[in-house]
Amino acid sequence: MMESVSLKSDAAQDVLHAAVDRMTELGAEFADARSQTVRVLGASTVNGDLKQLVQRSTGGVCLRAWSGGRWGYGTVTSFDRESVLRAAEEAAANAKGDGIPGLELEPSVGRGDHRAKVRIHPDSVDLDEKIAAAMDLDRAQVIDDRIINRSGAYSEEVKTNTLVNSAGSDLTWEEVRTICRAMSIAADGQRMEQYYDGPDSTLGFEVVRDADLEAIGRTAASEAIVTLSADRPPSGAMTVISDPMVSGLLAHEAMGHASEGDEITKKRSFLTGAVGRKVASDIVTMYDDGTVPGAHGSIQFDDEGTPASRVAIIDHGEYKGYMHSLETASRLGATPTGNGRAENSGKRVWVRMTNTFFGPGEWDKDELIADTKEGILCDKMLNGMEDPVGGCFEAKCLRGYLVKNGEIVKPVQSFTLTGKSIDILSSVDALSKEVVLDGGMCGKGIEDWVRVSTGGPYMRARMIVGGGQ
Amino acid sequence: MSDLDFSVEKALKAADGYEQAEAYASEAVIHTVYIDGTRISNVETKRESGLMVRVADGGRQGKASVVLSGDMSVPECVRMAETVLRYSPVGKETQRYAQPGQARIAAPDVWDKSVEGVTPEQLRDIARRLIDSCGVDIPRAQIRVSTNVSRVMNSNGVDVGHRSTLVYGHFTSMFRGDHPGEGAEKFHGTHLDVPVEKIGASLARQAKDSASAKGFEGHENMSMILPPGQLGEMLLTSVGASINGQSVKYGTSLWKDSVGIEVASKEVTMVDDPTVASPLACAFDDEGTPTERRPVIEDGVLKGFLRDTFCGESTGNGMRRSSEEAMGAYERTPVVKPLNLSVKPGRYTREQIIEQTDRGILVERFANPEADELSGRFGLNVRCGYVIRNGEVVGVVDNSLLMGNMIEALKAVEMIGSDPVMTGVIRVPTMSFSGTELVGN
Repeated sequence: MMESVSLKSDAAQDVLHAAVDRMTELGAEFADARSQTVRVLGASTVNGDLKQLVQRSTGGVCLRAWSGGRWGYGTVTSFDRESVLRAAEEAAANAKGDGIPGLELEPSVGRGDHRAKVRIHPDSVDLDEKIAAAMDLDRAQVIDDRIINRSGAYSEEVKTNTLVNSAGSDLTWEEVRTICRAMSIAADGQRMEQYYDGPDSTLGFEVVRDADLEAIGRTAASEAIVTLSADRPPSGAMTVISDPMVSGLLAHEAMGHASEGDEITKKRSFLTGAVGRKVASDIVTMYDDGTVPGAHGSIQFDDEGTPASRVAIIDHGEYKGYMHSLETASRLGATPTGNGRAENSGKRVWVRMTNTFFGPGEWDKDELIADTKEGILCDKMLNGMEDPVGGCFEAKCLRGYLVKNGEIVKPVQSFTLTGKSIDILSSVDALSKEVVLDGGMCGKGIEDWVRVSTGGPYMRARMIVGGGQ
Repeated sequence: MSDLDFSVEKALKAADGYEQAEAYASEAVIHTVYIDGTRISNVETKRESGLMVRVADGGRQGKASVVLSGDMSVPECVRMAETVLRYSPVGKETQRYAQPGQARIAAPDVWDKSVEGVTPEQLRDIARRLIDSCGVDIPRAQIRVSTNVSRVMNSNGVDVGHRSTLVYGHFTSMFRGDHPGEGAEKFHGTHLDVPVEKIGASLARQAKDSASAKGFEGHENMSMILPPGQLGEMLLTSVGASINGQSVKYGTSLWKDSVGIEVASKEVTMVDDPTVASPLACAFDDEGTPTERRPVIEDGVLKGFLRDTFCGESTGNGMRRSSEEAMGAYERTPVVKPLNLSVKPGRYTREQIIEQTDRGILVERFANPEADELSGRFGLNVRCGYVIRNGEVVGVVDNSLLMGNMIEALKAVEMIGSDPVMTGVIRVPTMSFSGTELVGN
């Protein structure tokens, strides 16, 4: 069992206050100091054997000085006063230079000690039970000799942030994430295929105790075997029914990144100046919402201390607006939305998504399939890539099914979706009632990974499809 | 004695009494300058040091990592590793940590004193030169320079130190207009010799060319020509997975039974070469095993795999460090990585490859170049590609999908360029392959 630690330490608070004071003395118009401790426990198996069992305790202090419309950063992994104050001086020095004068930030002033809202804190659970969860996920995959590789994984992350700023914030909050995953690789002598399943959340160990680990493991294995008989998908422009995971990937890649405020201040996004414009069919609504209870991308506060919020991005086809950090809100005359996030205390704050998803429609999933003459139904995503400049996207799907005359005909191997985001969203003609969110990691460009979730309903639209052999 | 040396020795001593113990510590100082919207937006200075302790006893294993932030960090790390070990079930096999050995290669030239003393103003100057030389907008770019010092000791007697400098850059460009175009470049190195003006010129050319791109219509079989940056990523996810000893151990490598068999065209030779200055070049890997120049494919025939101690019979490829980021080495468990996987260059210039291509596409930039590890399959969004007909570029396309299989493509190599470029842990020239398909609207 890991030890529980108190969220607040008076000594640490004092150092952060001193660091903010030092940056202000050195000319910062605004300064903040954020300490972070992260405790991670991971257990993973391969083929019934424990492969990884690791505890990590990391953290550091991030000092930011704002001067003349630019940030200077200093970060350090040592919490001692001398190191933190040196980093504060470096941050103040790094903020010097040409900037954009006249920009004023509007930070939230937050106080208090905000624990994560979990039913069973992972710290209260014995390590044996966590290892057993990974083992159970692995064991459940033993259903067929064609499963050549089984893995089960349990991981938890307990992150404690303390933020002090020159506007008067003195805030501590905790984030807890618990994740389980089963992954199977099946082989038939000719080829190998994989499938995965498992929950993720900002909840505690209740995620494991409430889950049917046996069913999750069995699903991963049986579906990997199904994929062995999948054909190569057709290619070209066609009707696609995205499942909630792929709908979420579209929300995230096609519109989400392009709605990040920093892409707007740079005029890099195809959505610059698009507020009020029609960008999707009337039935499409989309949000970024950091307040969804238990979702993997939910946060109490962003890394600037702004409370999380729900941002309407598309409302019945009309483009509504952007996500913001303190800086982008200042530059665009908007209100910070709680989307200023950093991968960790050593990385810079950018505008980042939280939980990004399309709203529901009025169809049952089965009705939607029955109504489709010819198309492809997606089943789980692999990854995706945004294109804020070109207004396109790339979404890789783990597998899918061919649909003909309203019926699922056969499975198809992994494939990729692409197309112009606005053209695709304008072609959406059916959405299911069911909306599901799924957790993952989001990089900005090629690094700076933060935890998010994406989701939506089953969604029917026209896209370009293609997959290798 | 430095803090890092003191911590490693103290940790190994504290973990005495187990069948096996290992302590690894790393220390990094990182300076980064960011460009946002064609102006210098942020400058960062980061300092980090941390420790990982691994212990093994009676088939059980324990592993923990901490940042080094005071006197209690080392005992805390050892105690966490011991706790994990106590709870760990008995495994079916025991991983043997690295054995001490003599260096087999001379220490590569991976330390640049000018990185050690770099100032924020020097970084700002590099950023300004890039902005000045580019001529089009730079929406987002970063230049990151780092020093990385590490030491690993284990109960078998391994005691190896390493130090290197890392210079990494990622740059984007944008040409504005009704159909804006984008460019991207990366730089990987160990010395502060970033070819700023060359990068700026490439970014400008890419952005202008992609602004003239049109969507591809229809479906066509054609040759695929990949420049080093795109090809390197594609090979790492396909060939890199197939030569990874862990994939072989678990039966998921496509080449697990292919040693001595032709897996590529005869013109293809690949060697993992840690003797050449590159981000992960080293005389000992991060577990303390000596490295060496190791043939992977010779004249199309697979010669062997890369392994760490987890796979057994380590080839010196157990790495914690990253080729792009000095932060976090201490908290990563060693995994198999190429140190500098190099494809033997051919004799063609890129222009000659284009001239000798009947129907093809030269992909300047994919959205995300990668192939499936288990099959080699790919279907990739082309952000900017030059369509070739009868030896000439006849147009620029975007928003289309190029489909194929990278493992199969290696058996269908048409030409190999004479222009190798290092991108992280791989050094490849431009290459062309037959048998891919382009599909559009």
